Amino acid sequence: MGTISSAFDLISGALNADQAALSIVANNVANANTPGYTEKTPNWQENDPIHINGVQYGDGVTETGATSMRDKVLSARLDQQQQLASASNARLTALDSVQALFTPDSGSSSSTAGDIGNDLTSFFSSFSSLEAEPTNNSLREEVLTSATTLAGNISNAAASLNTQRSALDQEASGVTSQVNALTSSIAQLNQQIQSTSPNADAGTLEDQRQEDLTQLSQLIGINQVKTENNGLSVTTTSGQLLVSENSSFQLTSGSFSGVTHFFVGTTDITSQLTTGGGELGGYLTARDEDIPGAVTSLDQLAYGISTSVNQLNNTGADLNGETGTSAAPLYIFSEPTQLAGSALGMSVTMTDPSKIAAAGAGQGTGDNSNAVAMAKLASESLMQPIATTALGVSQNLNALSSSATSSVQVYDSLGNSYNAAVTYTNLGSNTWGYSISVPDVLTANTSVPGSVSFGFGPGETVNPGTSLTISGNIGGGGTATIIAPMVTAGETVGTAGPPATGYVAALDAQITAAGIIGVTVSSTGGVLTISGATGTTGKVIADPVASANATGTLNFNASGALVGPAANVSSITFAGLSDGAANLNLDWNLYAANGTGTVTQTAAATLQLGESQNGSVGVSNGPTPTGFFSNFVSTLGATVSGVEAENTAQNASVTQLQTQNDALSKVNLNDEAAAMSTLESSYQAASKVFTILSTVMESALNLGTQTAFS
Amino acid sequence: MRVDPSYSSNLVGALDQSQLNEQRLTAELSSGVSITALSQNPVASGENVLLLNQIQQDDSFTQSSSLVTSQLQVADSTLGSVVSQLTQAVSLAISANNGTMNASNVKSIGNQISGILDEVQSLGNTSYQGQYIFAGGKTSTLPFTTSTATSPATTTYNGDNDVNYLEAPDGQKIQLNLPGSQIFSATGANNVFAALNSLVADYSTGNVNTTQAVSDTQALGTALNFVSQQRVVVDNSITQLSAATDSITSQQTQLTTAQTNLMQADVATVSTQLSLSETQQTALEDVIAQLDSQSNSLFSKLQ
Repeated sequence: MGTISSAFDLISGALNADQAALSIVANNVANANTPGYTEKTPNWQENDPIHINGVQYGDGVTETGATSMRDKVLSARLDQQQQLASASNARLTALDSVQALFTPDSGSSSSTAGDIGNDLTSFFSSFSSLEAEPTNNSLREEVLTSATTLAGNISNAAASLNTQRSALDQEASGVTSQVNALTSSIAQLNQQIQSTSPNADAGTLEDQRQEDLTQLSQLIGINQVKTENNGLSVTTTSGQLLVSENSSFQLTSGSFSGVTHFFVGTTDITSQLTTGGGELGGYLTARDEDIPGAVTSLDQLAYGISTSVNQLNNTGADLNGETGTSAAPLYIFSEPTQLAGSALGMSVTMTDPSKIAAAGAGQGTGDNSNAVAMAKLASESLMQPIATTALGVSQNLNALSSSATSSVQVYDSLGNSYNAAVTYTNLGSNTWGYSISVPDVLTANTSVPGSVSFGFGPGETVNPGTSLTISGNIGGGGTATIIAPMVTAGETVGTAGPPATGYVAALDAQITAAGIIGVTVSSTGGVLTISGATGTTGKVIADPVASANATGTLNFNASGALVGPAANVSSITFAGLSDGAANLNLDWNLYAANGTGTVTQTAAATLQLGESQNGSVGVSNGPTPTGFFSNFVSTLGATVSGVEAENTAQNASVTQLQTQNDALSKVNLNDEAAAMSTLESSYQAASKVFTILSTVMESALNLGTQTAFS
Repeated sequence: MRVDPSYSSNLVGALDQSQLNEQRLTAELSSGVSITALSQNPVASGENVLLLNQIQQDDSFTQSSSLVTSQLQVADSTLGSVVSQLTQAVSLAISANNGTMNASNVKSIGNQISGILDEVQSLGNTSYQGQYIFAGGKTSTLPFTTSTATSPATTTYNGDNDVNYLEAPDGQKIQLNLPGSQIFSATGANNVFAALNSLVADYSTGNVNTTQAVSDTQALGTALNFVSQQRVVVDNSITQLSAATDSITSQQTQLTTAQTNLMQADVATVSTQLSLSETQQTALEDVIAQLDSQSNSLFSKLQ
C-alpha cells in the first residue's frame, strides 16, 4: 500500500521533471536564432511501478533528457542540393561578368565602344569604301583605324577574360583554408561524439557537426558516410577521403602552369572538385571550362581574321606597287604563330596606310581588286581550326592554299631523332589528303677520323636534311671544315666517276671548293665513303627502307567539322630503321577528348618521348567572321541563360528542402509557448498536490489537533 | 502539422526578387532596350549581331555608291564632251573633203582638228581627285601622250586595261571605270587618236588627198560611234548604282525596323509588367509589415 511519503516522492519527482522540461523549453527559446541549432524536446519516462502485496502502484515520472528534432536523411539531401546550388551560383556570378564584356549593341548608335560585332563590320566595310577610291589616303587611314579598334577590342576582351580567370583562380584557392578548418572541426567533433554519445543522438555536438557539413557543402561537393559509434566519414563526390572518423586530410593547393591545382596528399583532385559541386566546383568550372572556351572562340576569330587578311594583303600590291616578301611581308595584323593566344596578342603592326594592298599583284595602284577580295572576307568563311593533330604545329588548311606541311620530332628506341612530317594536299570539296612520313636516319659506320661510310642501300633515294660536316687539311697548312650540301629530293648516292654523279659529285665539289686536299669521296654498292678527313660529324638522311608513308583523306562537312576519318589514326608503324632500332610506332590523334592532340609512342628511347606539338587543322568552310561572333554570343548567352535556369531551379529546391528541414528542426516559438503553458499547468498541479499532501501529512501528524504541529 | 517558423525570411527573399525585377523593367523603360545581357535572349543577341552587320554593310555601300557616282558622272560628262568634239571634227572634215575649199581653208580646218585633238587628249587625261579616270589601274600615270616625231603624229596610251568593280552587299558587281584604251585607242577602226592624227596630217599642207581624207573621216566617224557606245557603259553603271542604292536603302530600312523590333523594349508590355511587379511588391511589404506589427508567437498571449 502506498504511503504519504511515497506520494511526496512521486510528486516531487514530477516537479523535478517539469523543471527539467521547462529548462529544455527555455533553452530552445534561447537558441531560437542560433544557426544550426536543432529544437529539443523533453523525454518523459514513466517510472517503473511498485508492487506491494500484489498490487501495482505508479511511481511517477522522470525526465530523461532531450531529443533533437533531426532528420539525417533530409539534412543530407539538403546538403547535396546546396552543393549544386552553390556551384551554379558561383558559376553564374562568373558568367555574368563574362557576358558583361559582350553586352549587345542596342543599335541606337552606329558604333559602341567595345562592341566586337560592330568592329568586325566596320573593319570589313572600310575595305568596301576603299573599293570606291583605292588610292584615297583617308580611306586607307580608315582601314588601319578600324583594324586597330577591332584588334584592340578583341585583345582587351581576351585580357579581361584572363583577368577574370585569375580572379576566379584566387577565389578558388581561398576556399582551401575554409575547407580545411571545417574538415578539422568535423574530425574533432566526430571524436567527441563517439566518446560521449556512441549510440544516440549527440545533441549539440551533432548540431555543430551538421552545421559544419552544411557550410562544407556550400564550398565543395561531398559525400557523407555514417560509420560506427555515430561517427562520420566525408569524401569528395568522387570518393577522395577528406574526413575519416577523427582524422582529417588537408586540402592543399599549388600553382601549375599559372593555374591553381588542388591536392589531397599527392593526388591531384582538381578535376574531381570541378565536377563535384559547391562554390569551388562553380569557380573551377568557370575557370577551366567557360572562360577558356570563350577565350578559344576569340582566339579562333582573331587567328582567322589575322591570317586571312594578312595573307590577302601580302599577295596584293600596295600604293607603291609592291607586294609582300618573306623578308618584308605586307601584314596588317601581327601574324599569329599559333591559335592559342591569338586574341590576346592581336594588334595592328602596319603603320603606313600606303602599305595596304588595295590593288592586285602586278596591277596599277588604281586597281581595287584586292580591296574587293578583302571586303569579301566579311562574307567568306573564317579559317576555323576544327580538329587537332599531334604531328604538327598550328596548321590551318584553307581554300587559299594547295598544300601544307608540319612536322614534329620523334625518337626511336636507340634515341635517334626523326622529323615525322604530315603533308596535307588540298583535294577540293572540303577534302584534304594527308601523308605521314618519317625519313630514315643513316648513321656513320665508323666514327674515326680518316674514313667514314654511309650505307645508302642499293636503289635508295636521298632526302634533304643532312647535317654532315667534314674537316680536312688545306693546302699551305691548316684545316677547314665544310657543311656537306643538302641532298636534294630524289638524288641518288651516285658514283665517284669520272665524271662524278649524284650526291658524291655534289659533296666532292664542295670539298674541292673549300680547298681541302687529300679527302676523297667514293661509293660502292650504295655505300658512300669519305676518306682522308681529319674529322666528321652528323648524319645523312634518306627515305625509310621498309615502310611506306601513312596516307589517307580528311573530309570536312559544310560546317567545317571533321567527319572522316571517324577516329584517330593509330598504330602507324615505320619498320626497318637503318640504325637497327625497334619499329617506330605513332598515333595521330585527331579527336582528343580535351580538344588537344597527343602523340603516343611505343618503343621510345628512355627519357626521350615524342614531343606533343598540338596543332589545329581547319578548313575555310566555317562561318563568316560576323556569323562566328554571332554564334559565339548566342552560345555564351544560352550558356548563361541555362545556368540561370539551373540555379533558379536548384535554389527553389534548396528552399523547399530548407523549409521541410526548418519545419522539423527549427525552434517554433508557438510550440515552445504551448509547451511552456502545458508545463506551467502541470507544475502548478503538481505543486497543488504537494500542498494538499502537506496538509494531509500535517493532519496525520497532529492526529486531528490542529495546533499541535503546523 | 509543423510549419517552417522562418517564413518572414522567405518573404524577404520574394521581396528581393520582386525589387530586382522592377529594377530590370525600369532599366528597360529608361534605356528603351529590351535586352541588356546576352542571357536575356541569346538567340536575339546573335541575330542582332547579324542584323547590325547587314545594316552597316548597306550603309557603307550607300556611302561608297555616292563617292563613285560622282566619279562616274565626271566620266560621263567628259565622254559627252569628247563626243561633241568628235562630232565637230567630223563636220569639219566633211566640209574640207567636199573639194570647195582652197588650201588655206583646208589648212585652217587642219588646225581646228588639231585643236580638237589636243582637247580630246586633254579630256582623255581627265583626273578626278588627283587620279586619272581613263588610265585603267594606273591612275597616277598620264594616260595619253602624243609624239610628233612621226607623221601622222602618234598618240600613245600609257595606262592599262584594268577595270574596277564595286561589289554590292548582294554580290552585284558594278563597273566603275573604262580604261582609256577601250575608249580612245581601241584596235582596228575604233582608234580616235589615230583617226584624228591622220586627219591633221591629211590637212596639214592644204593639198588634200581626198580619197585618204574621206577614208580617215569615215574612220573618225566609226571611232565616234564607238565612243558613244562606250559612254553607254558608264551610263549603265550610273543607273545600276542608283538602282542598287535604292534597293539597298529600302533593305536597310526593313533591317533597321527588324533590328528595332528585336532589341527595343515594348513600352506597353514593360509598363504592364512593371505595374504588376509594383503591386506584388506592395502586397509583400504589407504582409511583412502586418506580420511585424503583430507578435508572431503565442508568447504574447501567455499571462
